[in-house]
Amino acid sequence: MTQLPDSNYKAPDGPQKYIGKAVKRVEDPRFITGQGHYTDDINVHGQLHAAMLRSPYAHAKIGQIDASAALALKGVHAVLTGQDLADAKVGSIPTGWLLPDLKIPPHPAIAHGEVHYVGDIVAVVIAESRALAEDAVALIEVDLEPLDAVSLGSQALAQGAAEVHPEAPGNVAFNWEIGDAAAADELFKQADHVVSLKIRNHRLVPNAIEPRASLAQYQRSSEEFTLHTTSQNPHIHRLMLAAFVLGIPEHKLRVISPDVGGGFGSKIFQYPEEVIVLFAAKKLNRPVKWAARRSESFVSDMQGRDHESEAQLALSKDGKMLALKVDTIANMGAYLTTFAPAVPTYLYGTLLNGVYKFGAVHAKVTGVFTNTVPVDAYRGAGRPEATYLVERIVSKAASELGMDAAEIRRKNFIQPEDFPYQTPVALVYDSGNYEPALDKALGMLGYQDLLKEQAEGRKNGRYIGIGFSTYVEACGLAPSALVGQLGAQAGQWESAVVRVMPTGKIEVLTGSHSHGQGHETTFAQIAAEEFGIPMEDVVIVHGDTGKMPFGWGTYGSRSAAVGGSALKMALGRIKDKATKIAAHLLEAAPEDIEVADGQFKVKGVPEGGKSFFDVALMAHLAHNLPEGMEPGLEAQYMYDPKNFVYPFGTHIAVVELDADTGHVKMIKYVCVDDCGPLINPLVVEGQVHGGIAQGFGQAILEETVYDEEGNMLTGSFMEYSMPRAEDLPMFEIDHTVTPSPHNPLGVKGIGESGTIASTAAVANAVNDALRAFGHHHVDMPFTPEKVWRAMKGGVQDLGQAADD
Amino acid sequence: MSLVPVTININGTPTPAQVEPRMLLVQFLRDELELTGTHVGCDTSQCGACTVSLNGEAVKSCTLFAVQADGMDVQTIEGIGSMDDLHPIQAAFWEQHGLQCGFCTPGMIMASAEIIRRNPDPSEEEIREQLGGNFCRCTGYHNIVKAISSAAAVMREKGAEAGQAADD
Amino acid sequence: MQVQGSHTISAPREKVWALLQDPQVLARCVPGVTEMIATAENQYNAVLNVAVGPVKGKFQAKVTITDRQPPQQMTLSIDAKSPSGIVTATGTLKLSELEGGTTQIDWEGEPKLRGMLATLAGRLIGGITQQQADVFFANLDKEASSPQPA
Repeated sequence: MTQLPDSNYKAPDGPQKYIGKAVKRVEDPRFITGQGHYTDDINVHGQLHAAMLRSPYAHAKIGQIDASAALALKGVHAVLTGQDLADAKVGSIPTGWLLPDLKIPPHPAIAHGEVHYVGDIVAVVIAESRALAEDAVALIEVDLEPLDAVSLGSQALAQGAAEVHPEAPGNVAFNWEIGDAAAADELFKQADHVVSLKIRNHRLVPNAIEPRASLAQYQRSSEEFTLHTTSQNPHIHRLMLAAFVLGIPEHKLRVISPDVGGGFGSKIFQYPEEVIVLFAAKKLNRPVKWAARRSESFVSDMQGRDHESEAQLALSKDGKMLALKVDTIANMGAYLTTFAPAVPTYLYGTLLNGVYKFGAVHAKVTGVFTNTVPVDAYRGAGRPEATYLVERIVSKAASELGMDAAEIRRKNFIQPEDFPYQTPVALVYDSGNYEPALDKALGMLGYQDLLKEQAEGRKNGRYIGIGFSTYVEACGLAPSALVGQLGAQAGQWESAVVRVMPTGKIEVLTGSHSHGQGHETTFAQIAAEEFGIPMEDVVIVHGDTGKMPFGWGTYGSRSAAVGGSALKMALGRIKDKATKIAAHLLEAAPEDIEVADGQFKVKGVPEGGKSFFDVALMAHLAHNLPEGMEPGLEAQYMYDPKNFVYPFGTHIAVVELDADTGHVKMIKYVCVDDCGPLINPLVVEGQVHGGIAQGFGQAILEETVYDEEGNMLTGSFMEYSMPRAEDLPMFEIDHTVTPSPHNPLGVKGIGESGTIASTAAVANAVNDALRAFGHHHVDMPFTPEKVWRAMKGGVQDLGQAADD
Repeated sequence: MSLVPVTININGTPTPAQVEPRMLLVQFLRDELELTGTHVGCDTSQCGACTVSLNGEAVKSCTLFAVQADGMDVQTIEGIGSMDDLHPIQAAFWEQHGLQCGFCTPGMIMASAEIIRRNPDPSEEEIREQLGGNFCRCTGYHNIVKAISSAAAVMREKGAEAGQAADD
Repeated sequence: MQVQGSHTISAPREKVWALLQDPQVLARCVPGVTEMIATAENQYNAVLNVAVGPVKGKFQAKVTITDRQPPQQMTLSIDAKSPSGIVTATGTLKLSELEGGTTQIDWEGEPKLRGMLATLAGRLIGGITQQQADVFFANLDKEASSPQPA
């Protein structure tokens, strides 16, 4: 048996036919013609509709629920309450990542006893139509006795704060730390400068444009459930619903995630509504559908970020960074959802080293319960929070020390020869070369000219700001054994099945999932490349637990690095077997066979050969196979990565402040990313564009506001300001290519880089412009009012009372 | 609730129906006619995913009742072009990678048609300003703006050709 | 949010005071009231149909008069529930006699929204309250100037 290719990266021998090409997306025709097939587009015979009665209080005791008026409406089939689920022994929605001493309060799909945030489900109506179900919700009378509530993380930790759950005294979900505190303290003693920063990384609503939806069907004869749902990872849903919540035998539950209109993390998690429709479908023996209204999405989609942090950076007098200390309060919201505990810990604290050579980094994180919508992974998940903190404090240091923001970074970069690089916060960076990305970006920007323009402008009341973000992130989640040690109750490998049919057509089943990322194109490029066959001969199938063996889905920029690698390895197995068949048919040794353009040939013999079709057909006919070979041509590979991958790059934002209104206009955005070899530049750049827009949104526009009683004040697109076309310029994008050494494609994730980098770049740009007004730090989001006040001297640098 | 008879000309086909007075046009398209290309992304008329053409002008189909469209022409994404015969705007969105998850795309394409109808040669600034009623969370709008510019160019060229042909 | 206003009613203070104590009158004056019943001394239950911007729906309201100083001042608290949320408010009305047999009412209050209402209408509540107060006092003025109580 020939050796399977090792999963380490090997650069391709020659030019590639598909990989690296800007191939137009295979999935697009259906979307541009309105034939996309999203969950809410699906209607089945006999379907009923669910509507939720959601708590108007952030915290209240549930008393009597009188549903008689609702039930009296013709066409209302049931009203479900928390008691119904408790009676049926429906389990709590589980937390999928554990930390030492983590407090996990019960999380019933329908609140039982108490509600814990505005939006928590109190009761559910199942009726013939959606309108009727919603009408009936309005007729349910619930006795809710308001209890004290708390919405801000730091306030939840204060003495005498309202208690969210009795299971978590003092509202502490966990205390976590990483790094060597003593080493950091020692370096702080040697420091010439200490830069302090107190920042809020405010809360965001993911707002995928497709609201969540779920449709459950139950087949009484076979006791089988089918759940269509808006999911980034249908197998995780099946596992959690089966094993923890509903007790459905796992093989009797099929979860299908059809076209999904964006996720950004928010469609990873196990949600109450999925539990409810499955429960109701069996109870009523009718299909039950629920689709969120946007106003529901705002109070029921898991939210992102929400950190309050204090940090100190120690520097020597020549601007060398010595050590970083960080203390963060992470607001977890009312419950701990699927990945929540991992986000402000292992996806945050480990990234606080950034791209710099620190002697020590120490971080302490307190996870806190509040009466707000739960917080979990949102695009970048922990890494944008870390990057914002590190990049902001580095720029603040430059500002305070009078150094150039690019040069202070350059001076402290980890150097190419240092890789693999062990950081002081557990990670081992795989590969990197940070300076070329910075230089390329500076060149694209015309940095020196822009600095002159900026200086000129300031004299004339024109306020330009230039903001840097030289980021690194860890993605491609992740070595299963490693995440297991860190608390994950999941593996993080990925599956691929390559099924070659007798006619040479290939069906690829992947456990990875596309909700906009373009797997149907990029994965087909990988598969077609292997044999040089037409891309049309490959179909990518995903999002159906009834089809693929298993899979952990898509988040953490893992599709290409983990799912793509699984595919590459499975293709290797196919190639290995197909080569043996071809060699047998050509009466040559397998070592002498090469494959290109869909033809197996004997090396050095241009004539003759066997087509991919010939080989596939013979594999199935099995009339003439090598002695003892099993017929068929199908391979499976479960790829477990050896490490995270570490994409990096330089993002530079240029903004101009309107002195009259405080409006921030982004006039230029330049970035150079390094995600290793690009499978499809079109798709990669699309990911970067969207990521930049989301990060920009946080810096300038978006903010989820709760009042002190836990009422959400920004619950629609009228109050929650989303980035629009006119807010953004054309982006100028380029790449450097530093392959990851440890996966077979050499690729690193790119789905989150834009968001991870851009918030800091934009915030640094605004702060750079505000230096003209004597500020070293103003916190985001930079609303016109805040910027105007800062320009008028009305905003003090936050948290700097001691040293400013 | 009593039903109201309407006849709406949907993608060129007069379509009689009985509708509840409170039924929104978008619900009528999606739920009654199964024209599910028109999407619902919000309930406050900001996102634009439900944009259709009503008597030749772009409207958000969540902002009017089906009964208000009685006797009118409604064109949806399903009517603007098909897989075999793509409208130049559809082709441009594909060509320029102007979509990712595809959910906002039908509304974007219908809004794009309106932008080009108003000005066959819109500037980048005009395009961005006039896309203010349509949200995309995936693309950062970069390639959508490119797609609209390039579709407008193609349509101007086609228009010129058609004009030429008519002159000949 | 603190809101306040001032209105002139074309009737003497005693009469205005009397009108304000009459649930029948209040039912006619408060916009959208479909039902108002006195449940105890100083306590009313009311059903209101409200449709002002995003604040829409049927509200079950409990109104309690917490302080009564005839004929010059009263303080009341309102607790109104609807499926979309809850409005709680306390308000004080001060009546002062003006020349020519008219009465000035100075009022102030602090409405507070919860639930979806807070989300959708939080920033509008000041304006909505003002608008509803304008309607109420205009109605009250009509009641005061009509020769016979209906």
